[in-house]
Amino acid sequence: MEIETIKLKDCDPNFAKEIIGAGGKKANVCFQCGTCTAGCPTVYAMDFTPRQIMRMVNLGMREQVLQSGTIWVCASCFTCQSRCPRGVEITSVMGALKNIAIREGITPQNKKGPAFYNSFLEVAMDHGRIYEPELMLRFAGRSEKSIPGALKSLSKDIPLGMGLVKKGKMAFLPHSFRRPEQLKIIYDNIRKMEGEK
Amino acid sequence: MKLAYYPGCSLESTGTEYDMSTKEVFKALDIELCDLGDWNCCGSSVASSKDYLLSLALPARNLAMSEKLELDVMAPCPECYLKLWKARDAVKKDPDTLDKVNKALDGTGLELKGSIDVKHPAYVIVNELGLEKLAERVKKPLDGLKVVPYYGCVMLKPPRDEKLDSPENPTGLDRIITTLGGEVVPFASKVKCCGGGLILTNKEVMLNLTHEILKEAKDAGADCIITACPLCHLALDGRQIDVEKEYNEKIEMPILYFTQLIGLSLGIGPKKLGLDKNFISTQNLLKSLKL
Ligand code: SF4
Ligand code: SF4
Repeated sequence: MEIETIKLKDCDPNFAKEIIGAGGKKANVCFQCGTCTAGCPTVYAMDFTPRQIMRMVNLGMREQVLQSGTIWVCASCFTCQSRCPRGVEITSVMGALKNIAIREGITPQNKKGPAFYNSFLEVAMDHGRIYEPELMLRFAGRSEKSIPGALKSLSKDIPLGMGLVKKGKMAFLPHSFRRPEQLKIIYDNIRKMEGEK
Repeated sequence: MKLAYYPGCSLESTGTEYDMSTKEVFKALDIELCDLGDWNCCGSSVASSKDYLLSLALPARNLAMSEKLELDVMAPCPECYLKLWKARDAVKKDPDTLDKVNKALDGTGLELKGSIDVKHPAYVIVNELGLEKLAERVKKPLDGLKVVPYYGCVMLKPPRDEKLDSPENPTGLDRIITTLGGEVVPFASKVKCCGGGLILTNKEVMLNLTHEILKEAKDAGADCIITACPLCHLALDGRQIDVEKEYNEKIEMPILYFTQLIGLSLGIGPKKLGLDKNFISTQNLLKSLKL
């Protein structure tokens, strides 16, 4: 059996600190008990388990963690975080990892995760509230490589979409948020503050 | 009792019937809900995956609006409820965060003090109104209807206030069901994730998790599942046909918002509660209740 060697010189010793700063509180106090993995509903579809991710974060295996599919399979269910005997905010760690991966343009094989996050936030910031038809269009455009691919993926959701329209649950126009400029002010304020850091 | 009402984006669209039934039930229970006016999206789990401060500032704008009304704010969507609560908790615990959030709000004409509380309708009913009061208003008891109390993830997790309910073995919805005269179906997956959060990004995993919940309910002989979350509802109800196709099983399990179930037993008409908007037909259920 070949054992993989982790070269510490390739690791980033400040990674855990970076994650804590991005909202993943107590990321550095994990003692590897595995409670998080035991209760994770999506672990079967992950390339690294939540416990492994926590170890890798603390070893500073920045690249591998940010490229892993795990962070995008995580359903943000908070089961791990609620049960961790050390109070590690694991769900928030996963959130912080998504945040950094998006910012650095690191896309996993399944591009749908980042595509959804980017599209959702754009719609929320543009309209002040979520407007599903536009969210679906932007999402399909981003997650597929070609226009036919995007149309195909959209068409899969047409039955549900039409059902929502028929039941009067999907609006044809964006909702009535009257002051979208307010969110731009907030966004710009934050960018300014973060630029000053 | 008077509360500011934050519907959130889902209740304006896929969760219309949650909005309708919440308003009807609270009216019948004499709890006044004040319109928050020009509220904005709470940012959901997405904003926190994008930028931590943004994930506090988006809900903070809504909190500041509720403060202007001098009212605690109630959010039926558990994700909104969590995000509003998180922002409120963060500024309460740390003056530095409050300062940063207010810097983010600078120029919007709003300022946050952190003086109000954030609430969920299920626990306003259970812990504040009280179940005795609810019992007094029941006009049509559920007559032993077998109901699954499904809590989903974020209504109680991450743990907020132990006084609210237990995050691992909650009983709030159970107690509502019993008060209405229904029978609680013991349910192992009552707090297990339905995969709703992956509804667009990973359909395979989502269908698998949704299937596990529907199957357990079906095997237990439940008449319906109640939920308090528009995303769980979209997965369990809106995607139920996809689950049936994927696993080649007939499930036909009605998924009701807990407010729809309360409304029925308070004698509110099914149409007013939006029961015709649920995807999986609620007709047989209504028939068995002679409604
Ligand atoms: S439950 Fe907490 S302490 Fe245990 S392995 Fe997971 S993160 Fe580490
Ligand atoms: S929050 Fe993510 S990592 Fe944690 S248990 Fe849920 S799916 Fe697994």
